[in-house]
Amino acid sequence: MRRHIKYIGKIAASLLLALVILVNGEKTPALANDALAQLQESVDAILEILQSEELRTPERKKERNQRVLDVVNKMFDFREMARSSLGPTWNTLTLEEQERFVELFKNLVEQRYIGKIDSFDNQKVVYQKQLIKGDKAMIYTDIVDKDLEVPIIYKLQEIEGKWLIYDMKIENVSLIVNYRRDFESIIRKEQFAGLITKITEQLEKSETQN
Amino acid sequence: MNYSGPGHIVFVQVCILSSLLFFSGYAWAEDITLKVSESSLAAAAETAPVTDAGAGEDIWEDDGSWDEEWDVSPTIADPLEPLNRLFFHFNDKLYYWLLKPVARTYAAILPVELRISIGNFFDNLQAPGRAVNSLLQGEIKDSSIEVARFVLNSTAGIYGFGDFAGDVLELRSSEEDTGQTLGYYGMGGVFYIVWPFLGPSNVRDSLGKMGDAYLHPIILIDVDWEVTVGLWTLDRVNYTSLTLGDYELFTETALDPYTAVKDAYQQYREGQIKK
Repeated sequence: MRRHIKYIGKIAASLLLALVILVNGEKTPALANDALAQLQESVDAILEILQSEELRTPERKKERNQRVLDVVNKMFDFREMARSSLGPTWNTLTLEEQERFVELFKNLVEQRYIGKIDSFDNQKVVYQKQLIKGDKAMIYTDIVDKDLEVPIIYKLQEIEGKWLIYDMKIENVSLIVNYRRDFESIIRKEQFAGLITKITEQLEKSETQN
Repeated sequence: MNYSGPGHIVFVQVCILSSLLFFSGYAWAEDITLKVSESSLAAAAETAPVTDAGAGEDIWEDDGSWDEEWDVSPTIADPLEPLNRLFFHFNDKLYYWLLKPVARTYAAILPVELRISIGNFFDNLQAPGRAVNSLLQGEIKDSSIEVARFVLNSTAGIYGFGDFAGDVLELRSSEEDTGQTLGYYGMGGVFYIVWPFLGPSNVRDSLGKMGDAYLHPIILIDVDWEVTVGLWTLDRVNYTSLTLGDYELFTETALDPYTAVKDAYQQYREGQIKK
């Protein structure tokens, strides 16, 4: 039975690999301004860092995480994401407060998703389709992890020729909506100042853990 | 069980319907394989905006649908919040103190391939329920695919331990359940419920779980409830062993984990119903 299962696993793996290669093989410089091409380029860059054997040693863990974050920072529009997660409160803030909040928000998102990096184990990314309307795009992907397929949809906006992600849905759950409701529940009881304290504490908590 | 009289006729009818569904489901196999490779090619080769016909597919039928998919309904009512928070806390402790250590030990003993197969086995048992619910939602194609998956995986997949239909024939499950059928016919979540042991739910999905229980093949064999609970626990431990770390990462990076989980559950279920 084990052999049977392995056999099926191999077929599945090669099918997936074929898909990934097909998709990557079609990539040409002419597509450079395409949302999908830009996303693929960034994802490939991240995968390359994650698959690098040299960077896998515990001593270089920090460097590895930092290099991933450098790519991630160029993919996301954190200011727009922070603004829409905060909702109406955003407009009541001064420019400095806004900037401080963007930084805290960015670190909060990083804290959640950098944790996934350590458990990376040759997951595959399959690009399903992209929809473009004016300066907005949606890209449908699947992350294939062990035997689980996780659908991820990216929402991007084109700003000066660059496509930046401003929301993503993992298993139908929008990152922005989830943060907005989480923040709302704090703001309702402790106002914006309370939210800042909570996020700061939250970020310190993980630093002591590492 | 007694198969005489009207019961017998019903049984025969179910058999005929199932075989019809099986053959039409199996017929989709080739079709789907083609579609998958075509769409991934199209996605890569398309330079111009995909707005025109072709890879754009059904989502482009009208302009209103662009953001519709992203729309989220208002936060679900939570009149039981104090009690729900109590049970959330209970389930959280249950995870850290019991489920996680057990799942870790379990993962250390059984190789990952075997755990995936065990997961497939439990998943396969839910196929009849999914087939019925797809049919109730008018998705005849999905329903026939579920029947084909169940028949093929129970045989060629060896009692459902292998996902032959999915891996080789690209027959993908539609993942319907009774809660989604109720949602399809317009029932909202009503209010949020956190069940001890079972976790987040709402009124609609709790009713749905009861429906799912009646559609599970285990009710056909006469087993003690201890066996049912034991199997359910094994399923849960097995699943946890494959997703270790995900729960911690999400709840530990949320500011108010209770609210974050409540919202994630609501969005997740709404997305499933819309599909």
